Amino acid sequence: MKKATALLLAVLMLLALVACGGGSGSQQPATSPAGDSTPAAPAEGGDSASTGNELAGTYDVTIWAPEAAVDLTNQQVADFNSSNGMGITINATVEPVSEADAASNMDTDVSAGADLFFFAQDQLSRMIKDGAVTKLGQGAADFVKNNNNAAGVTAATSGSDLYAYPLTADNGYFMYYDKSVVPDSDVDSLEKIIEDCIAANKNFSYELENAWYNAGVFFGTGCHSEWSTDDNVNFTLDDDFNSDNGLIAAKGIYKLVSTPIYVNSSNADFASGSAVVVTGTWNYATIKEQLGDNFGVTDLPSFEVDGQSYHLGSYSGCKLLGVKPQEDAVKGAAINQLAQYLTNGECQLARFTEFGWGPSNNDALADPAVQADPTLGALNEQGAYAVPQPNIPGNWWDIAKTITTDIKESDGSDEALKAALQKYEDSVGAADGITLAG
Amino acid sequence: MNEKRHMGLKSLNRASNTVIYILLIIISIVWLLPFVFIVLQSFRVENTYQVGYVIPQQWGLDNYIRLWTSDFKRWYLNTFIIALASAVLITIIQLCMSYTLSRFRFKLRGPLMRFMLILGMFPGMLTMIILYRVLADLGLTQTNAVPGLILVGVASSGMGYYVSKGFFDTIPKSLDEAARVDGATRFQVLYKIILPLAKPIVIYTILTAFMGPWGDYVFARYVAMGTSAGYNVAVGMYSWLTNDQINNWYTTFCAGGVIVALPVTILFLCLQKYYVEGVTGGAVKG
Repeated sequence: MKKATALLLAVLMLLALVACGGGSGSQQPATSPAGDSTPAAPAEGGDSASTGNELAGTYDVTIWAPEAAVDLTNQQVADFNSSNGMGITINATVEPVSEADAASNMDTDVSAGADLFFFAQDQLSRMIKDGAVTKLGQGAADFVKNNNNAAGVTAATSGSDLYAYPLTADNGYFMYYDKSVVPDSDVDSLEKIIEDCIAANKNFSYELENAWYNAGVFFGTGCHSEWSTDDNVNFTLDDDFNSDNGLIAAKGIYKLVSTPIYVNSSNADFASGSAVVVTGTWNYATIKEQLGDNFGVTDLPSFEVDGQSYHLGSYSGCKLLGVKPQEDAVKGAAINQLAQYLTNGECQLARFTEFGWGPSNNDALADPAVQADPTLGALNEQGAYAVPQPNIPGNWWDIAKTITTDIKESDGSDEALKAALQKYEDSVGAADGITLAG
Repeated sequence: MNEKRHMGLKSLNRASNTVIYILLIIISIVWLLPFVFIVLQSFRVENTYQVGYVIPQQWGLDNYIRLWTSDFKRWYLNTFIIALASAVLITIIQLCMSYTLSRFRFKLRGPLMRFMLILGMFPGMLTMIILYRVLADLGLTQTNAVPGLILVGVASSGMGYYVSKGFFDTIPKSLDEAARVDGATRFQVLYKIILPLAKPIVIYTILTAFMGPWGDYVFARYVAMGTSAGYNVAVGMYSWLTNDQINNWYTTFCAGGVIVALPVTILFLCLQKYYVEGVTGGAVKG
């Protein structure tokens, strides 16, 4: 029995030793990996299109792609291997990581992160701060600018440089509706839609308690919100949400949020009591299935304040493909070649065909199937009122969403609405890392 | 007259009981509804997204079958291994620790106990970053997340000695002494005298150690860092709830929830008798 005790104690001590030893002894390897190696290596990013044979070799690459896109990405990497003509063989491990989660994983540990990753554009500033994305070289930047629409290029830009490859330009929202409740003749007027919904005792889902959605109402009344970033990722905001136009937008928001049918959601809610949902392309398949013949999709409606009509605006955004800085510049260049392949027109079109992701690539956008797609059509119509989403710091979203909450709790009087807007302006002024212009 | 008053009291009693029962029934319905809801949703097969009704229109096992063809298998096994290893190791360490602190008298025993008490007051979240660094340098993250999580769970387990030490303190020391006089070693005293007497607390320790890993999300997510092979059930299932996944996975998620609840529930039902004794057992010092 004594022996057993001794053995147990020995094992425990060993465990303790391993735990302690690891902590202090291995600081060095932790500081060296690719993530921390600043400008020198990353500057190579994708600039070596002409130097084909130098890139020949086999590279192990980890890719984070959303669960749905894992199989297709594997297949596209295989196609790249057989067609690149530069002797590059990519040995890819594709992990299912949602494009919404990429930044929070990179925040944890860049060195353990994927070499190539899908992410939503609002995470770009975090990625740059983390040192998780490579600044694109001149050749790669030209590739992006020459092949993608303006929204895609804006999304990948911070300061005066590009940091990622646009994958899609479909991250916007528009209106899905149930034709049995809202007749086609009513879809242009917010007031009529609200009446129809109340008459049918159906809900109106519009996630206005989220700045991505409520900012659109302000754009609709002529407000602007312009962000600029310096090279150290400090933000300057020039906006006029707290103005006369802003007050009109606040009245518009109050119109909907004060009704009993308002639901703060952007999910496919048609099966749970909604007749109208403001959301994006990602819910298309589900909503189509839920509504069947009553499926309707169009741009956002207009609302009326003091006899004047204002079309609801929106943000349009992109998904991006980021390349992690590499210690080995040759491997970095090879990965950039892969990134350019994965974001070219052909691959974007394949993603459109399989998942309905709207392309950012100009050739893919010109494809007849893309032109004829109902949701992308609605997105396009809404595009006239949409503002390309710039690079915005995370804390602004948290501040701006409270505008709706405050409006909802107010009595709808001008004073109360003004107070909500004033509170927003004060909070933004006091926020960390944001400077108000003017 | 007496009779009448007696009756009045009785009916008053009955009335108050009725009110209490109605209240309790309402509360238990509110409490049980989410569970019933999840179980019902997990058998719903007509579609995979959220709907506005509770009773499925079509019943079936599709969601459970789908679990077995997805990565869930792997996540479940990971969690089960962590839970099992934690249950064994944490129980051994914690009981040895409690026994030592209860029966041995050595220098710095008091300060050590106070020190651990104070350490235990810091929220575990504070240590997450440094723990992650240590694990990453040891190579125990991502695909190796399972041993990493076991190590972290077990390493600090000695600090949870209070309850079982309190229980051990209630067992008369004269029993130990008698055994020692008869030639038993310290370990034999623990193994043959104390543990059989402290069965409720042993089971309580096993149960809590086993249940912990099933709900671990924050740290498990850090350690797995986007590598599906290193996910536990909580992290893995949460990845089904993102905007673009939920319509596809919602009912499967519910089925996963039911499967996760099973081992814990079964263990709990079997050992429930001891559990109650264990929780309260250490509280009274004899």
